[in-house]
Amino acid sequence: MIHLRPHTKIVLLAIVSCLVILLDSPIALFVCFLVSLCFQASIPPSWRQMRLLILFIGLGTWGLIYSQGIFYNQFPRTVIFTLIHRDAPVIGELTGGIHLYREGLFYGAVQSLRFNTMLTISCFIIWTTQPRDLLLALVKLRVPYSLAFMVTTGLRYIPLIGSEAQTVIRSQRLRGFRYLRLNLFHTISGILNSLRPILTNNIRRATHLSEAVESRAFSPDPTHRTSLRGLKTRWQDVLLIVTLLVCLLSVIGLKSVYFLYANGLYYASWLRGAYTFVREVL
Amino acid sequence: MGSIEIENLHFTYPSRNTPTLRGVTAKVNPQAFILLTGPTGCGKSTLLRTLNGLIPHASGGKLSGSIRINDTNVAEQPIAVTCQQVGLLFQNPEEQLFCIIVEDEIAFGLENLGLPSHEIDRRIDSALTQVGLTGFRNRQIASLSSGQKQRVALACVCAMQPQILLLDEPTSYLDPQATHDILEIIRDLNRELGITVIAAGHQVNEIAPLCSRVWLMNDGKLVSDLPINQAFADLKRYSQLGVQVPELAQVAAQRGYSERPLTLDHAVQLFANPTQDSEQSQFRRTETPDGLISSDTSAREDELTDLTSVLTQANGVNPDNILVKVQNLSFRYPQTDVDVLKDISFQIKRGEVVAIMGANGSGKTTLLLHLIALLRPSVGQILIKGGDTRRCKSRHLAGQVGIVFQNPDLLLQAATVSEEVAFGPKNFRLSRQEVEERLEKILPMFDLEALKAEAPYALSRGQRQRTAVAANFSLYPDLLLLDEPTTGQDYYHLQQLMQMLDNTMKAQDKTVIFCTHDVHLTLEYASRVLLLHRGELIFDGTPDTAFADPKRIKQASLVPPLTMQLQGFQNDTSPASHENRPPRNR
Repeated sequence: MIHLRPHTKIVLLAIVSCLVILLDSPIALFVCFLVSLCFQASIPPSWRQMRLLILFIGLGTWGLIYSQGIFYNQFPRTVIFTLIHRDAPVIGELTGGIHLYREGLFYGAVQSLRFNTMLTISCFIIWTTQPRDLLLALVKLRVPYSLAFMVTTGLRYIPLIGSEAQTVIRSQRLRGFRYLRLNLFHTISGILNSLRPILTNNIRRATHLSEAVESRAFSPDPTHRTSLRGLKTRWQDVLLIVTLLVCLLSVIGLKSVYFLYANGLYYASWLRGAYTFVREVL
Repeated sequence: MGSIEIENLHFTYPSRNTPTLRGVTAKVNPQAFILLTGPTGCGKSTLLRTLNGLIPHASGGKLSGSIRINDTNVAEQPIAVTCQQVGLLFQNPEEQLFCIIVEDEIAFGLENLGLPSHEIDRRIDSALTQVGLTGFRNRQIASLSSGQKQRVALACVCAMQPQILLLDEPTSYLDPQATHDILEIIRDLNRELGITVIAAGHQVNEIAPLCSRVWLMNDGKLVSDLPINQAFADLKRYSQLGVQVPELAQVAAQRGYSERPLTLDHAVQLFANPTQDSEQSQFRRTETPDGLISSDTSAREDELTDLTSVLTQANGVNPDNILVKVQNLSFRYPQTDVDVLKDISFQIKRGEVVAIMGANGSGKTTLLLHLIALLRPSVGQILIKGGDTRRCKSRHLAGQVGIVFQNPDLLLQAATVSEEVAFGPKNFRLSRQEVEERLEKILPMFDLEALKAEAPYALSRGQRQRTAVAANFSLYPDLLLLDEPTTGQDYYHLQQLMQMLDNTMKAQDKTVIFCTHDVHLTLEYASRVLLLHRGELIFDGTPDTAFADPKRIKQASLVPPLTMQLQGFQNDTSPASHENRPPRNR
């Protein structure tokens, strides 16, 4: 079980997001994905959450691989399958044929590893962190209190806004309104009209909420505010952050050295091992 | 400590031309308990907000005159200072609680004050004890009932240790039992800790017995400020403004007594000494002393009858038709393990007016949502006009069933009131002439003629609710569902709305089902009542029978009308008093 402090989780998210942007090799990205799965598995999600994660990972992987396989526009590219021949009437003539490219599939797989790593780490943080802890973590990370308070309070109201939107749509239907009609103008104006009660209601709620907050002496001044609960960083958190930072700095260093070499700006023979490692693994 | 001096207070909101407060002058002694009453929109909430500094510090607007709390001018000190002296409890618990856990919610204000954590800790425990929620410290707020949520909100205020407590309709979202509980806590805060209380609200029966003075407001002015024993001497003043008065005081006035009892004990003592002027026949609550409501609604009778005749011809009446048939309905929300509705069966005929009653969380709204096919039974079935709701979508019931949610704002999507009312008929592609005719009929019926060009969301709550009802009514549905129509409504507008629906819907054999905690409303308008207790239907019958059994009433977290309780006492002591009928359905 990994009981990380919430601010450690936010740092983890930040470092992993940098890593998945910097890394290009499928091996390194796959390792990142496996690490993110390990974090997720350390506090097993519910069956419903697991199904949701599997669904999103499946859809994301499938969508990215196939969209890149079809729309890949770099060269060289190798056609492995033709969906619509260039001689096919209308679509074939317009598009010059639709093919599935091997390099596109590979590129899509790499992109999906980036996407899935971020998705898994984000779900790990959302599912294992209470909004109250998120607020403390953001404040600990020196995010202005007003901003942190707005973010965490906003998160709390997302499900409520969702259920209100459902109520609006249902009450419109009960008054005979049909959202999907051939008349596009009618559909769009209906959707815009549905936004009005949701917006109005939220403005009203925000006003009441701000009154309630003001009535309790709201003070965003960090020098004046105190906190019932504090967040103490434990050695496990420090160890993880240091390890991740070392990884990130190493990747940045190695990538920089390789960049200088690849562009003919700097070469050192004793760094040949590093060049090979970056080309093959990172 | 806890004294207030208000002198010639005027306030105009930004972007408004007319002032909301006009020259309010009053003085409040420490430890006073004041009932602030008046019609909707008279400025009660605005006055309360000026007292804790929200106005003008957080609202802007133009304020003149002065408010002095313990000899300090509120306008000259920041809200953060004022709110340590003056706590404000709002109407809707959902809109004033923004944390997940109870202790965080209470700690929020104390953290803002910069108190050390051990002091915050101590005050949280103390506040939870004061509101009777010991042991709830680490509970999730979402798991609490509405009454418990409002008690948490009160604990947040108490933790700041104010000398003055302002209550803005604190019980209008609560069931009678929760109302009783929270008012008891407030009474103790007033009597034991000496906290000055000013309570705005329409629930005068519950609040008045706790008060030392009554303030009556109208049109931004304080029209009377009297001690409780004199406040209800002249009931005409209240009825002229459409403001509800304590029902026992009204009964005493009708019987010719000069005293105005507010508690049952006082009334029993008083009525034990009959006067020559007793008028037993005037016992009915709907017949106010000056007949204002009767005369006002009767002025509309012609219009209603006119429309009714048109509709009745169009629809054809068959009183034996069963409109709604619910068979062995059970329902459980996804990912929960508790049945919200348990094996419920009943039938509703055309033309019935049915009240669904029960405590907060007893399943009333869930049952309504089943009747419009927004929820499907887990077990059992619901037939609307013979059609199974499991096999139809809510759009298939469009035009046949209408619903007004507790929050009417979610229904209002048009740019003007008249567009809102015309929205339904236009969706059904009625001719322009037909739509115009319906508008001409319906807008005056709901007192919306003068507001037809206004934006619905800019109206008062009562007006918004009337617009929402009119918008549903414009389709002439066979079944109209109202979820808690009493919330935020004053006595006059509520009476007006229900009277209009009663006249129109009943006469044309249409059915109305409404959820409410208001026993009076049920007695006056419902022909039948369904009592729910934790998802079970514990009673289905006439209101008179429903409220005759104290055990049943308690089980449903209801409180019988004081007049009915009084009758019980009198039946015990005087056989002659059998003529004293409590208010009942007409």
